[in-house]
Amino acid sequence: MKTPTWEKVLKEILILLVIFFFMMPIFWLVTTAFKFGRDAFAIPPKWIFFDYTLRNFEQVLTETKTGRFMMNSIIITTGTTLLSLALGVPAGYAIARSKTKFINLSSYFFLLLLMIPPIAMLIPFYLIMRDLHLLGSYLAVILLDTAFDAAFVVWMMRSYFQGVPQEMEEAALVDGASHWQSFFQVALPLSIPGIIAAALYCIIFSWNDFLFALMLTSPSTKTIPLGILASFSASEISWGHMAVTSLFAIVPAVIISLFLNRYFVQGLTMGATKG
Amino acid sequence: MLAPLLIFVVAIAIYPLLFSIYISFFKYRLTDPNQVRTFVGLTNYLDAIHDQDIRKALINTLIFVIGTVSLEIVVGLGMALLLTDESRRIHITRAFLLIPMAIPPLVVGLIWKSLYNADFGVIPYYLKALGVDVGRGPLGELSTAMPAVILIDIWQWSPLLMVIFLAGLKSLPQEPYEAARVDGASRLQSFLHITLPLLQPIFLIALLLRTMQSFKVFDIIYATTAGGPGTKTTVLNFHIFTVGMTFFNMGYAASLANILLIIVAIISVIYVIVLERQQL
Repeated sequence: MKTPTWEKVLKEILILLVIFFFMMPIFWLVTTAFKFGRDAFAIPPKWIFFDYTLRNFEQVLTETKTGRFMMNSIIITTGTTLLSLALGVPAGYAIARSKTKFINLSSYFFLLLLMIPPIAMLIPFYLIMRDLHLLGSYLAVILLDTAFDAAFVVWMMRSYFQGVPQEMEEAALVDGASHWQSFFQVALPLSIPGIIAAALYCIIFSWNDFLFALMLTSPSTKTIPLGILASFSASEISWGHMAVTSLFAIVPAVIISLFLNRYFVQGLTMGATKG
Repeated sequence: MLAPLLIFVVAIAIYPLLFSIYISFFKYRLTDPNQVRTFVGLTNYLDAIHDQDIRKALINTLIFVIGTVSLEIVVGLGMALLLTDESRRIHITRAFLLIPMAIPPLVVGLIWKSLYNADFGVIPYYLKALGVDVGRGPLGELSTAMPAVILIDIWQWSPLLMVIFLAGLKSLPQEPYEAARVDGASRLQSFLHITLPLLQPIFLIALLLRTMQSFKVFDIIYATTAGGPGTKTTVLNFHIFTVGMTFFNMGYAASLANILLIIVAIISVIYVIVLERQQL
């Protein structure tokens, strides 16, 4: 059956519409970062032809604390990702290799944990951190982010390990290796793609988090999304500054979507559909 | 190997949740200088049932959830059908389309807030050029605020559904299509009578997954409307935040959060049962 020409043309038009709808806001953000104030506010809007400038970047880097906020985001994201993997990967392995029905079902417990509304955890957690005098520390945010991320890592790594053949591990166990040894020396090296996919999820989740950081950080531990809000509260709203700070905030998203695409898609589909 | 995680989860997740149930039985305001906690039993929960604000927030949440989830499924499926080819061009297009869902939702909200701005936003400018009266901008008018916020959510999350539907479309068996072709079925017929029924499990997963996530919307609302105009876009999650973290009425906020938790937990359990069935 041949596709009629009009259908091909229609399909191309629809694809272009989809691209326009999803890329237009990002294009607008990127160009605004390079605009002078007068062009950012220009009526009619200037899409391509305007005076390009790096002034916004200069000002954001020298006059605001964006560098500090980036550093805080990096610290919190790194801490969360490492802790989530350290806790979640062995647990996912243990569940995948367990022959007990009860332990197999426990992976659903972690899936349910993942679905708890963040606000329901934040309210009691905020009070607990206040009593422990940990409000405003990196640790408070890292711990709460990890509760959600580790649950995802378990869920994903369990299905990943189930797809990894067990014969070599069994051979290692027969040769006298411990469970931890066969995990580290046999199973782990075979699961690097799965671990990358799980790590990407952790990175995006904790980098993009706003609610937890809003309540748990102090002015010196603020993360980048909070820094963007700060460019609004300044006396004059500068869309240029907002755009530049936002560009810094979306760097991981762009890198992961475009260059680590394969792992990202794998993490998304495994997290959502595979049991 | 499970033990370290279990200890962590009990300390960081289970204990706070139990603590949340505990304080939901108290009248407890952080603004109170003496920090008194008065035991009030189920009063907070009973108050919530009669609270008009909660009722409004719940209705807004349902409008938001139904609007976003249904439209995202349609858009996501449409995108998946348009972009099934394995050519290099389509691969690159798909990669770019994943960017929105990886961007911090707060940033997404702020980008759209500037696009929607009544005075110099791009969208009102072109609407005005078409002769539409934009008033205080899409986010500022009672009639358009909710649709405007829903559109932002569609922009961010339709790509996720595209990914899920693409995986579903790839896993479909080829035989029914060949049989249908031999029988002279049109492509529309095979789509309606083969593809859609076979995708049913994927629809269910997409529906439940996005419903759960949509119930928890917060960042976009915070960044764009802060619940306004009036209480038009005050969803449950945002309302709880206001009660707890702006007015520091912790006992009441905890009881509201627990109610939200129960709603989401019911959907989650259905989701888990569906996943478990699928596997068998």
